[in-house]
Amino acid sequence: MIIIGEKINGSIPVVAEAIANRDAEFIKNRAIMQAEANASFIDCCASVPEEQEVETLHWMIDCIQEVTDLPISVDSPSPAVLAEAYKFCKRPGLFNSVSGEGNKLDTIFPIMAQPGNEKWEVIALLSDDTGIPKSAADRLRVFEKIMAKAKEYGIAPSRIHVDPLVEMLCTSENGIETNIEVIKTVRAQYPDIHITAAVSNISFNLPVRKLINLGFLVLAMNAGLDSAIMDPVNRDMLGMVYSTEALLGLDDYCMEYIGAYRDGLIGPKK
Amino acid sequence: MSKIQEVASAVEMGKSKIVGGLTQEALNEGASAVDVLNAMIDAMGVVGEKFKNNEIFVPEMLVAARAMKKGVEVLKPHLASGEAGKAGKVIIGTVAGDLHDIGKNLVAMMIESAGFEVIDLGVDVPTEKFLEALKANPDVKIVALSALLTTTMPAMKATVEALNALENRGAIKVMVGGAPITQAFADEIGADAYTADAASAAQKAKELAA
Repeated sequence: MIIIGEKINGSIPVVAEAIANRDAEFIKNRAIMQAEANASFIDCCASVPEEQEVETLHWMIDCIQEVTDLPISVDSPSPAVLAEAYKFCKRPGLFNSVSGEGNKLDTIFPIMAQPGNEKWEVIALLSDDTGIPKSAADRLRVFEKIMAKAKEYGIAPSRIHVDPLVEMLCTSENGIETNIEVIKTVRAQYPDIHITAAVSNISFNLPVRKLINLGFLVLAMNAGLDSAIMDPVNRDMLGMVYSTEALLGLDDYCMEYIGAYRDGLIGPKK
Repeated sequence: MSKIQEVASAVEMGKSKIVGGLTQEALNEGASAVDVLNAMIDAMGVVGEKFKNNEIFVPEMLVAARAMKKGVEVLKPHLASGEAGKAGKVIIGTVAGDLHDIGKNLVAMMIESAGFEVIDLGVDVPTEKFLEALKANPDVKIVALSALLTTTMPAMKATVEALNALENRGAIKVMVGGAPITQAFADEIGADAYTADAASAAQKAKELAA
């Protein structure tokens, strides 16, 4: 399972404060915590006005790279910002994100196609200029458009993390049926593609959010999710990732599960 | 750390991908195949001990045994025939009417890792099949029987009784095990030994064959 650690995001109030005060220790500490919890990428989102975003991301990326060699998921809604900020990364990471919206694909895919950038990956949201399509069929149409562009620029499916877009369960009419249908269809078409999700979006405005998040994770992984934007420091979530991988037959002899336990990452804190 | 120690520690850690290579390196450096084999057997002894003390889990014991197998494959051409199973021959099987094989396989694996040659008769093994195997392999030292069901305990009893009636019964030891089996039951049916888990079974087999 690919875990994109979500703890360094300016939309979290304490993180926003640390960014405003240029509190490097705070950012570094969050990077270390996530690296120690086996994150695959460290997400880095400034969440500041666009004119300050590149400079802020530069500072944040430097902080993170000072303490870990993990690749960075450069997170901004602005393709122009991504096109600048990715240059601060010492090693290939993840563009977070593109979608069918505006000129995002035509800004980021050419960068990924450049020599030297072959190892950069990208998160592709299944939204477009109409917003988030309601039905699975409409999201899959956006997906087709994205894949056609990817092909045009020679971006292999294995470099793309498709995000089917997780919306809050409390206002959904069909639970997570739409997500599951999208995940299954995408997985069937492209065995090598990554499918990711911002897991905790599912539980907005519900009590005991953890239970909803855990249930979603299991069902989505069963459908074909192999990547997640989540908090790896959350022991219950991380534990569920390892146990579900073992249950799905993706963990020979349960050694990853046992290893995570031995490393003190899951289970009761010793 | 010497190469032999590296092999032993790789076996202990269940690193099956590197054990073969390390074994070859140890041989290239002039280590004797027998010494390497013994180091592996000792490493599995450590693994068994840890399992008995609840320090490791079943899969960790399985990967260690799998790792040892990889090493033994490399050693085999360098060992005198019979050296890999020099502790003796063991016949093992799950008794008639019982199809459970996970525990039996685990015991077979651990006994093999302890230096025995294991003749595995599989599951649902009738008494006659045990007797035939024994006839075909007169040098067998131990017959190990597994039963996982209370309903197949009588079949275990029948097989042990048939073994006990053999003329050369003194030449073999009979071991029994399985979830419903107890020391009291083993005594009652006239088996030589009962063990509660795969690691203890391997240890016991070594004692009995010594």
